Amino acid sequence: MSQAPTQPAPDPRRRKPVVPMLLDKSEPFVQTMIRLCGWSAILFVLAIFFFVFKEALPVLNDLDLGEFFTSDQWRPTSEVKEQFGIFALLAGTLSVTALAMLIAVPLGLGAAVYVSEFASPKVKESLKIIIELLAAIPSVVWGFIGMAVLAPIIKTQLGTSDGVNILNGGIILALMSIPIIVSVGEDALRAVPDSYREAAIALGASRWEVVAKVLFPAAKSGLLAAVLLGVGRAIGETMAVLMATGHKPMTPGSIFDPVQTLTATIAAELGEVFQGGTHYRVLFLIGIVLFVITFIVNLTADIVVKGIKGKTNE
Amino acid sequence: MSEIHSDSLEYYISPGCSGSSSGSADQPYTSLSEAFEKLPEKLVELNDGNTGRKIELVCIASPGVQTKPPKKAKHRFYVDTKAGGVDGQGTELAPWADLVTGFKHLKDQTDQGRLDLKPGQKIRVTMREVFTSTDQESLRSGRELIARVSFGIMAWSLVVPIFAILGYLVYKAAPSLNLDFLLTNPKDGMTAGGIWTPLLGTFMLVLISLAIAAPIGILAGVYLNEYAGDNWFTRVINLAVINLAGVPSIVHGLFGVGAFVLFMKMGVSLLAASCTIAVMTLPVIITSTKEALAAVPMAFREACWNLGATRWQTIRTIVLPNSIAGILTGVILQVARAAGETAPILFTGVTYYVIVSDDWSDKLTAFGLNDSFMALSNHLFKLASNVKGVPDSILYGTAVVLIALVLVVNSISVLFRLYLRSRKKW
Repeated sequence: MSQAPTQPAPDPRRRKPVVPMLLDKSEPFVQTMIRLCGWSAILFVLAIFFFVFKEALPVLNDLDLGEFFTSDQWRPTSEVKEQFGIFALLAGTLSVTALAMLIAVPLGLGAAVYVSEFASPKVKESLKIIIELLAAIPSVVWGFIGMAVLAPIIKTQLGTSDGVNILNGGIILALMSIPIIVSVGEDALRAVPDSYREAAIALGASRWEVVAKVLFPAAKSGLLAAVLLGVGRAIGETMAVLMATGHKPMTPGSIFDPVQTLTATIAAELGEVFQGGTHYRVLFLIGIVLFVITFIVNLTADIVVKGIKGKTNE
Repeated sequence: MSEIHSDSLEYYISPGCSGSSSGSADQPYTSLSEAFEKLPEKLVELNDGNTGRKIELVCIASPGVQTKPPKKAKHRFYVDTKAGGVDGQGTELAPWADLVTGFKHLKDQTDQGRLDLKPGQKIRVTMREVFTSTDQESLRSGRELIARVSFGIMAWSLVVPIFAILGYLVYKAAPSLNLDFLLTNPKDGMTAGGIWTPLLGTFMLVLISLAIAAPIGILAGVYLNEYAGDNWFTRVINLAVINLAGVPSIVHGLFGVGAFVLFMKMGVSLLAASCTIAVMTLPVIITSTKEALAAVPMAFREACWNLGATRWQTIRTIVLPNSIAGILTGVILQVARAAGETAPILFTGVTYYVIVSDDWSDKLTAFGLNDSFMALSNHLFKLASNVKGVPDSILYGTAVVLIALVLVVNSISVLFRLYLRSRKKW
């Protein structure tokens, strides 16, 4: 029973029958465990929402939500009057994310096209590995690179008063989200059937024409998903933007202004608040806002991806 | 006749001038018509064996004026002695069969007033080779080259600066990169000494979170690939996995505070931080386990079921042994991710500084499950943003060790995958 049926000759190193018997007996237990673990992902997502919401809930009674979203006065520790308006923080998150995407989307998709369509197999393999390693560099290290390497360059080259600003954060976030854009984008391009390419080449199209006129239209939802996942990563990024954007709660006027993002606010302030106070609960409320934003972005990306899968099955 | 050996032969016309005309710049032809009449005599010997030449007729304002001939020809005609037909049009696709016919056609057209040349313009007649690319083709291959190069630049522009930055970090860190740096505790308000305590904290965090996340993640992967049917519930689970991966790390941190630190009363501790990291990295393990299992051919399972094995027996004896390496790849990736995260542990367990004596028995058991601990990622954050007077070498050294740790772990996973692919049996 315990012999692997696909192996024609019995392997002498196979286990003795006692242990397999015990393992077989454990089947009902193991199956239950497997099922529970399988469902755990749902449980955890719900739990995240529940526990973060639970901490934020009491503040909803005495906080004007309209003011919360539209006021740009973030003065959580003011002695005169505490004010919790996250507009400036939202603007900070959006400006840094937008700049990052402005850099990362063309570069990332271009690199995805190169890896998928132009590079020789060897170059392709090594580029993919390098990009994967890029994705592994921790965000605190990116933040450190922003502070220690990029900031002095920006300060001296562009003559800004401070090197940590939207530009710095945007570049760092772009570098962080490019790997995900490249790898998802490359998957999307690879998912286009080879017959499309062959047909186009047979009609006399050059490689560039194949990319621009055949692959982009065919893979557009996958490429969109790649961009969305990059956006999701950029919005949710914490340590890098905390260290590289200057962390000042003001609505930015130019890309050389320092900003404070939603994520960085939580990271910087939660350690210093009185547990159970309004400020504490507002930070959890910001967490809910972040959770909802990234949930929507990721859900959209998933629907877009499912869209292509449905189409190719037809 | 040295000009015969150059690729293009240039002749000149200057409408309205007088005097003897030989086609040179000093003695240009006086009209197009004359040029087309006289040129064939000069060029007739070129018909054979002189393919690839270009004959250019440049119009200048007056004899002897040395102007730079224009780069682009106003009119282009083609002659192909091998492929041209009697009904050639002089175009690329239907070239004339020889120069004489070509110029006859050209003269006819000029006399009918259809061909005209102003000073500064030129006409080019190309003797086509058999397999030379047409202008259209070379234009396209030029575009292709531009596309290839610019996409290549896009890809490599990601890689090169990163290596430059990493090189710079290592260069700045060089003075402190030695074993002592790894094995001594931070001293003097973290401005001296090494990084032993944060390193130990990171190791413990990784190990404990792995112990929690690996079993749950692997079993969840098994469920999704082996048990779950193709229905709405499975889709919801998959969606949950994707979203779990997409939740911002700081929100995981908030969840850790709410669920583990406060609700389960673990306090700010190594255990609470490990649980938070475990939840956060779960999707990595689930996804890669699922993929590894899906790579095992269905026929393996069917063969096993046909012999009467139950689902669990099949998984245990066939599916898992054939996919264990792929599963491990995911586990290793989880380790790399856990080692680098900062935001989730900021409020769940990590602390600024823990006093540990230099005694090795203390140094090895610095953190208990219920103690707050130091971690390398948070250490770097604090050194970079809060502590004044940290020597560069310690600051950069910490960053380099953290990067190296993560990259080494990741490279192991990559090597593992390459090795696997090389010995794949099916």
